[in-house]
Amino acid sequence: MAELSTIADLIFIAFGAMVPITLAALGEIITERAGVVNIGLEGIMLISSLTAAIATYYTDNPYLGLLAGIATGLLIGFVHALISVKLKGNQIVSGIGINIFAYGIVVVALVYIWGNYGQSAPLSSIPRVGVGTYAVSPIFILTILLGIGLYFFLFRTTAGLKLRACGEDPRSAEAMGVKVELVRIIATTVGAAFSGLAGAYMSVDYIGQFTKEITSGRGFIALANVVFSNWNPLFALVGGFIFGFSDAVARYLEIILMMPGLSYLFKTIPYLTTLVIVGIFFKRARMPRALGKPYIKE
Amino acid sequence: MFAKSIRYEYLATAIEIIASASIGFLLASIVLIVLGYDPIEAYAVLFRSALEDSHYVMARASFILLTGLAFSIPALAGLFNIGAEGQMYVGGLFALLATLYVPNPLVGILAGILGGVAYSAIAGLLRSYRNVNEVISTIMLNWISYYVVMYLILTRFANPMIPHMSRPVPELARLGDVGGVPVIFIISVAVAIIMYVVIYYTKIGYTIRACGLNVKAAQYAGIDPKKPTVLSVLIGGGMAGLAGALNVIGFTYAIDVLLSSMHGMGFDGIGVALLGRNHPIGIIFSAIFFSALIVGSHGLQMEMGIIRELADATIGIIIVALAIPYAYRMLVSYFRIRRMRVE
Repeated sequence: MAELSTIADLIFIAFGAMVPITLAALGEIITERAGVVNIGLEGIMLISSLTAAIATYYTDNPYLGLLAGIATGLLIGFVHALISVKLKGNQIVSGIGINIFAYGIVVVALVYIWGNYGQSAPLSSIPRVGVGTYAVSPIFILTILLGIGLYFFLFRTTAGLKLRACGEDPRSAEAMGVKVELVRIIATTVGAAFSGLAGAYMSVDYIGQFTKEITSGRGFIALANVVFSNWNPLFALVGGFIFGFSDAVARYLEIILMMPGLSYLFKTIPYLTTLVIVGIFFKRARMPRALGKPYIKE
Repeated sequence: MFAKSIRYEYLATAIEIIASASIGFLLASIVLIVLGYDPIEAYAVLFRSALEDSHYVMARASFILLTGLAFSIPALAGLFNIGAEGQMYVGGLFALLATLYVPNPLVGILAGILGGVAYSAIAGLLRSYRNVNEVISTIMLNWISYYVVMYLILTRFANPMIPHMSRPVPELARLGDVGGVPVIFIISVAVAIIMYVVIYYTKIGYTIRACGLNVKAAQYAGIDPKKPTVLSVLIGGGMAGLAGALNVIGFTYAIDVLLSSMHGMGFDGIGVALLGRNHPIGIIFSAIFFSALIVGSHGLQMEMGIIRELADATIGIIIVALAIPYAYRMLVSYFRIRRMRVE
């Protein structure tokens, strides 16, 4: 921590901070490319972060924690998929419900498991790879690989083309022989699993503890990142880094200036950055044409 | 024929609301059983303690009624204003500052509304002119206002006697009770009725609803969707600002450093609006219902040790369940149209 004052340190803090925002955004790109909106990312991250903490707390194995987080994401994603695709429900309302449910249920679980209203016990976390302060989490490397892999999947494979067709023009996709409902259910479920991993990363890797405000709007910053990236996984990596860097700057200023009052103002930096960036880039964004619209077969 | 279809509408809405609330309570019961409590006993305690503290139920209902309107009026225009939380903080801050200089409740109320409107304008303008999705912008604005208001209370307006509180609202600017009923409750119910008239019986309300139902059709009818869209967000912001003002000048008479007396009420308002089916009169009743649920859950925690946040989780489930019945409605109306065609 002594050499925090260098840019290199900031970049490495940003590498850590960008992971949840990027992972959740990558998952949402899959979901939205298939035509479903899930604004419950924040809630999914929060609950997954908790289940990862619970699994790690009882088994002392953070990797099982990651799996628990992914499984939680899959489960909630599947519920959202059923509501959005099969029951033709209102996707935004369902997402809002997931978020509000999450805020409540994590406190209930915290109190019953750790007897504390705000945070869990410290957890064993995943070891870093690298030298000294220049180390990254293996999940960071995984995130970069997933971003690149997802780009090739979406734009260079037939399966990716079919998935995108479901989000652009479901009727034509169906005529082409694509099972639109099935693709959308899978895309929504798998997409949410990314948020599950993102949440798990926060508690068993990034922070090493679960707190009830662990996500602090990162699910929504991820949604902003999706639009910033123009639904392109490679740009989502770039966007994730920008948002992560602003987070790093905020934390850096808090640490070096040590002014208790002013630190509240520094905390606004990532949110302000997001707002400015969406203000600049949203005008150009072109979303999948059938996004958010339930597909009803003839 | 027409009367029959209206009656059918009401019935379908009633079924949706009751079914969703039942799903919420059913899943909450399962959680209670898992945690080792008797759900029947828990619900009995919940509603008894809400009834015993009806004054608090009414006071709390006032705030979430208004944040409910803050969500529902933009929603009628087709927008999701998740920013009532932040707009309420700003409204509360403005009301506090105004009454510190001019000790008059009306000044506080107007300042609160102004604060909410001004803060919501950022999201409204970003939406109209930069095509920024309001869900994202309002969430960012919520966090920004949360920290900025905290900062201002802590560093500029702290009470020298009680450091974790702001300076108190002067006696002259406070709102109290009339015949055992909080004045803030009377004000918020009156505002809901006014909003009902505005939305359903004025031209402004008509254009707002037209944009929400079908933007293209509204455009063909000669409505420029930008104006009603921004206007609906501003009205919503005003409602949330009023909620903050009433909280400060009519209930807590100060703002605490953690904003805990307002925290979460913007989000509760979303549930209130959805359960009230975005109808101002429906929102009055759903606000009282959710307020009773939340106040009752405090009693539940004291008497049975059940964590009161379970009420929040229940509200979340009710909202998820409320997303589904659109499907049910679509299905029923689909069959009705088919039947009519056959006839």
